[in-house]
Amino acid sequence: MPLDTSTYSLALLRIDGRRWNDLRRLHAQIHTQDAADGSSYLEMGHTKVMCVVTGPAEPQAGQKKGTVGSAQATGQKEGASIVVNVVVAGFSSVDRKRRGRNDRRIQEMEITIQKALAANLHTHLFPHSTITVSLHVLSQDGSLLAALINATTLAVIDAGIPMTDYITACTAGSTSSYAAGDDAADPLLDLNTQEEQELPYLTVGTLGDSDKVAVLVCESRVQVSRLEGMLVVGVDGCKQVRRLLDGIVKQKGRKMIKEGAVRRSDMMAVSLDD
Amino acid sequence: MPREAEPSLSERTFTLQAISEGLRLDSRKLDQFRPLELSFGDEYGVADVKLGKTRVLAKVSAEVTVPFSDRPFDGIFQITSELGPMVAPSFEVNRPTETEILLARLLEKTIRRSGALDTESLCLIAGQKCWSVRVDLHILSADGNLIDSSCLAVVAALRHFRRPDTSIEGETLTIYTAAEREPVPLSWLHSPFCTTFDFFGEDGEIVLVDTTWLEEQLRVGSVTFSLNKHGEICQISKLGGKPVEATLIIQCAQMALAKSKEFTDLVDARLAEDAKRRDKGGLMAELSAENER
Repeated sequence: MPLDTSTYSLALLRIDGRRWNDLRRLHAQIHTQDAADGSSYLEMGHTKVMCVVTGPAEPQAGQKKGTVGSAQATGQKEGASIVVNVVVAGFSSVDRKRRGRNDRRIQEMEITIQKALAANLHTHLFPHSTITVSLHVLSQDGSLLAALINATTLAVIDAGIPMTDYITACTAGSTSSYAAGDDAADPLLDLNTQEEQELPYLTVGTLGDSDKVAVLVCESRVQVSRLEGMLVVGVDGCKQVRRLLDGIVKQKGRKMIKEGAVRRSDMMAVSLDD
Repeated sequence: MPREAEPSLSERTFTLQAISEGLRLDSRKLDQFRPLELSFGDEYGVADVKLGKTRVLAKVSAEVTVPFSDRPFDGIFQITSELGPMVAPSFEVNRPTETEILLARLLEKTIRRSGALDTESLCLIAGQKCWSVRVDLHILSADGNLIDSSCLAVVAALRHFRRPDTSIEGETLTIYTAAEREPVPLSWLHSPFCTTFDFFGEDGEIVLVDTTWLEEQLRVGSVTFSLNKHGEICQISKLGGKPVEATLIIQCAQMALAKSKEFTDLVDARLAEDAKRRDKGGLMAELSAENER
């Protein structure tokens, strides 16, 4: 259902009442599954995803190397291989669609997450093992790939797998469609489904607090001159997401120390007072 | 299951060292493509692209079918690609590898989703009859940069293709043979072209274009831009890999735009040459009774 975004220029408010640079409510939990090595639950607005990380573990006999979605990073034979599975629940979007296992769009997302992790995790510390990342999409309302990447980052941290830095992602769009050639188009941050259907947008994933882009996916037609503005806003949004995720991890850490699950040591730069 | 052979350690070290000094094994500059050859077949809709040792053939065919019930006003347009064991032993039939999935997805996003072909013009009778245009992409030999060459081959083949002319009178649909009426080109809206940039070095700060198979094995990341000559991005994909600076991505986008204009000129020139070759002087030449002695 297309949405009329022409009202944006009047009030500078989006359909859900946000300003151009507002993120939606980001709620996340870490260590939600007791049995799993690492797990997380993440909501970005109404997009809800769950992630479970198993491993690093011995590769299972049935798991063949190099199959779709489990393609290990080439040239990293000595390191752990990473397998990513994305399951989209039938009830996750408005129209109930059966998606087969061979949906290319889902497979592309699996490969993207797998490759982004392969370059970021210190897999060389776990030779001859497999890290399995299972992602479940419970509800979709835009920024799906971004939510999946953020949930994966949290779950991998929970699993205690060493990594260079957080990989955080969010989407950025532009207020006018490609047909209108006006230069006065404003960039937008963190789009929902309605906005994604109407406006050009891209998903950007960055490493830590830097400006380094790990993932960049754009599937809509947009003028090349708009790219810079959208990318800048997207990278800035990723930094905001990183601060939020970092807060969640630290809060969980404090809680674990208070409960006595982890011994407090002098090395920890965490204050328990707030 | 056969695996792709990996470059040896010495090969790897040598190539990477050379790249970090700004040299490539085939003495190209870092931002230089291999010589690109585009030729068309005798039939309409066959394009053959050679980029160094990479060779790709695209064949377009069209037939009249029933449209999908949920899209009665649209024709059917699909692109199929197959990477068989002829290319490399690691590719098996009926088991798509990661390369193949990404290639198919990229062509779909670049050409189909960006609306390069006007599918509504393929509709003959709403809900009953439409053209089904199908592009078969055959990778004949792979030596790196499959994406750019495949995209060019598909676009060139589609622009070269002519479908039989049709007419509707009342309820009857007539499809004319090539002898009765000159076949008509597809309604083509814009020509997007892919350019892939590969990143090398510790921080992915060295950018190469048109990498060979060996270089492709050693890259730390890559980004593919699809643009048309009007400067419209149809698709960007940087699917993981080593993180690179955002400013570098913007520079790559500008380079991709220049490259896309080059590709457009090349395809236009080749199409014009081919049209000239086919043009025998029109009806007058056909009707003339004069013989060449």
